Amino acid sequence: MNKTQLLQGTLDLLILRILELGPNHGWGISSRLQQISQDGLKTSQGSLYPALHRLEMRGEVRSEMTASENNRRARVYTITRTGRKRLNQETETWEAFALSMRRVLEEGQ
Amino acid sequence: MIARLLATLRGLLGRRRIEGEIAEELRDHLEREIEVHRSRGVSAEEARRLALRDLGGLTQTIESTRAVRATWLDTVWRDVGYAARVLRRSPRFTATALTLLVLGIGATTAIVSIAYTVLVRPLPYANADRLVFLAEKDGRSMAWLNYTDWRRRATSFEGMASSIADGVIRRGGPFPQQLDSRSVTANFFDVLGTMPLEGRLFTESDARPGAASTVVLSHAFAMREFGTARAAVGQTLLLNGRSHTVIGVLPTGFHFMTAAHVYVPLEPQAAANSRGMQNRRDHTTLHAVARLKPGVSLTAARAELQNIAAALVLEYPATNSGSDNPACCVYIVPLADRIVGDMAPTLTVVAGAVVLLLLIACCNLAGLLLNKSASRADEFSIRAAIGGSRWDLIRQLLIEQALLVLIGGVLGAVAGAAILSALVSLAPPEMPRLDEIHLDLVVLSWTTLFCCACAFIFGIVPAIKASGVSGQKLLARSGRGSTRRAPVVRQGLMLAEIAVATVLLSGAGLMVHTMVRLARVDPGFDPNNLQTSMFSLTGPQWPNARRQVFYDAVVERLRALPGMDNAGLASSLPILGSNWWTVFSISGKAAEHWISLGEFPNADTVLVTAGYFETLRIPLVKGRYFNRSDTPDSLPVAIVNSSVATKFWPNEDPLGKQIKQGFPDQPYGPWRTVVGVVGDIKQQGIDQEAPRQLFMPIVQEPRATIFAIVRTRETVSPSTLEAAIHDVDRNVAVFNDRTLDQLMRDSSSRRRIAMIVLSAFGVVAILLAAIGVYGVIAQSVAERRQEIGVRMALGATGGQILGLFLRHGLIVVAVGIACGVVMALVAARSLASLVFGVTATDPATLSAVATLLTVVTLLACYMPAQSATRVDPLEALRSE
Repeated sequence: MNKTQLLQGTLDLLILRILELGPNHGWGISSRLQQISQDGLKTSQGSLYPALHRLEMRGEVRSEMTASENNRRARVYTITRTGRKRLNQETETWEAFALSMRRVLEEGQ
Repeated sequence: MIARLLATLRGLLGRRRIEGEIAEELRDHLEREIEVHRSRGVSAEEARRLALRDLGGLTQTIESTRAVRATWLDTVWRDVGYAARVLRRSPRFTATALTLLVLGIGATTAIVSIAYTVLVRPLPYANADRLVFLAEKDGRSMAWLNYTDWRRRATSFEGMASSIADGVIRRGGPFPQQLDSRSVTANFFDVLGTMPLEGRLFTESDARPGAASTVVLSHAFAMREFGTARAAVGQTLLLNGRSHTVIGVLPTGFHFMTAAHVYVPLEPQAAANSRGMQNRRDHTTLHAVARLKPGVSLTAARAELQNIAAALVLEYPATNSGSDNPACCVYIVPLADRIVGDMAPTLTVVAGAVVLLLLIACCNLAGLLLNKSASRADEFSIRAAIGGSRWDLIRQLLIEQALLVLIGGVLGAVAGAAILSALVSLAPPEMPRLDEIHLDLVVLSWTTLFCCACAFIFGIVPAIKASGVSGQKLLARSGRGSTRRAPVVRQGLMLAEIAVATVLLSGAGLMVHTMVRLARVDPGFDPNNLQTSMFSLTGPQWPNARRQVFYDAVVERLRALPGMDNAGLASSLPILGSNWWTVFSISGKAAEHWISLGEFPNADTVLVTAGYFETLRIPLVKGRYFNRSDTPDSLPVAIVNSSVATKFWPNEDPLGKQIKQGFPDQPYGPWRTVVGVVGDIKQQGIDQEAPRQLFMPIVQEPRATIFAIVRTRETVSPSTLEAAIHDVDRNVAVFNDRTLDQLMRDSSSRRRIAMIVLSAFGVVAILLAAIGVYGVIAQSVAERRQEIGVRMALGATGGQILGLFLRHGLIVVAVGIACGVVMALVAARSLASLVFGVTATDPATLSAVATLLTVVTLLACYMPAQSATRVDPLEALRSE
């Protein structure tokens, strides 16, 4: 697991987590990410959209163009069953990972 | 997994739409960000700047998002676009390569399609590999009685059947109609394994004497006459004056030996006894076919039939033995071999020529691609140096070559279809399975694949090598072009091209020589301005007395037409061949005399009217022609040709000698007095020996099927003869209007096809070889510019530089031609049966071809070599 893969995986996980709360558009996900990033996780807006589209290509989210205010259209993303499955799996993996990290670190003390 | 695949597909289908939507989505994001910033009191401009900064640039983000959606197909598509640009940017390369591909693929596909249809494609019969063609010694036909004995005694076969190609007259329409028919034994279709498309086929009861007359129709004839196969069954046809019930229709594409409209039962009694000749065991008339039992080999079947034939010799010594006994030998071959027959050598030669042409085209394409790779070596090295992976490069090149070959393949298919229809129109009508020929897609795929393989090998292997060259080496080579290896390969290709061109050209030379010889052959008569038509007087309404009157009336009528020089009737036509070969007896010579000589007197027998010889302008050697004083009641007379006279009366005057038809032990007809000797004519075709011929006045021996021959002074419409015959009697069937010129052309069409194909290919081959040589020398001159500059700076003259390159070219040309001549001598064997008046290894033709190729290829060497002498030494050295 190299650094970019770790980060990418993290971003995917965050996006899926946000979408689990309900469908949202890119900007909405971005603002939620900013809130989270105050908790110390830094993500750039520029990498958000490729990540969203990659998730869609994998079938973990689906999207729909919907009308938004001012005659614009926004893409609204919804998590799919595959997406939920991945989120659960990855969450377990993360928790297991975090748990073992903590054990190792505490043991070391 | 499936969701992913669907997403990929959606991505592909809505590519353009998605790209627009990504832009829209991001713009929406920007607007929202700007609003947030604005709400904090930032200026509009600053808000936009901040929003764009956070996003990391609009275009960049659109691009990186789009890239996520790109699939391998997008990559390929991009590569195709790039390949198309590469091809467009070098139009000369592209045009040359496409020409080579179109020639290679088009010509090869067309001709291999024909050869495949005629030679290779399985016959339209069930388990055709077990079908064999049977004949007696002549390899063509069998006597009815021997056939029945073979059939009864042999155990190697599941079934044995026989048939005779025939013609019938159909009445009931406005004019009588001549139909091609085949009389078949009741088990004929069973043996071939043919099932009816509609109705039923023959059973034994159809062939029983006195059975109701039945007929089976070919699919094409049923469609033409009744619209559908189903509608035809149950209809009646009036054939040869008898009403025949249609019992069945054959499947499409059914064909046996010759085309036939209708099939009627061959009645054993009629077959055995008609004309008083077929009951002889040494008079062969039938086409026999048999189906081997599973597991029985051809060799075993042949051995069994040979035993039976040997037994028949003992049982019927009078007819089945002797030096000229057709029954002593057995001819048994797979039916497929027999059906392909005479066309096999032509097709083999033509297909061989095509493969050679494809080889030259591919050699040239290879050379072209090697040059191209060499000139792009730097591009490849640079791409490799800046991080392009080998696979990227290979994929790019694969796509480039594939695009080239694909375009070539499509154009080649179009060209192939054109070549195919041109060749089919040239083919003789008797060429087997002509109607089944079409452009074969399998063959097209193979030839295209072959070109593809060639393009990949010669276009990509050098590129892979080049991409492996390190950046340092690249710089060290300072753009001097290719590695040293390529020229060696290209010289090898050039050598191969010259060798193959030599083979094709010598084949062309031999065929041209043959056609010239054939054109010079004296047919023994004057074939110009002769027009012929055939008519038939069959049935009970045509007793001999009425026929005799009709012959005279037709000749009178034809002579009276405007523009006619002369007219006559005959029972067979020159060139078209004899249709009645008979044995005759000579008064005063007993059978023993001929047996001791090993041959009974025999000759092609033709029944003619007065005026026949004058119309054809056959010279009179001695005595007289037939004239109006030869009537049914006058002295029976005959005329022989010079060959008969010298063969059977070697030291005597044939005039006044008495002859009679039939074997000496079984003669028939009246004694005839020989009244004239005429010159030999090429009755069997222009390339055949003139046969021995015996002529009798047709009024003394009336015939049903007659050819009218007229010599015209001016061109007359083809239907003139038909109209004139119908003037005399409207109920006579007339068909086959043609001129003797046409017959002569048809008789040499096998050779003409070979000549046209070989000559056309020879010309293309020599052009391709010249282009190839030019390319190699020009490339070598370009690569050695600096060396030339040094040499000239050191005092080499233009002549010396010219010599350098000419010597280089001359060696390759000489070796190429030498290899070619050896190959041509080997290949000549396949031409042996097609050449006429010249040996297949004719030294004059070979040396002429070698000279021509030397001149052309040296000229192709000279042009680029000449340009080498114009190299400016200063400029060449400065570019170092």
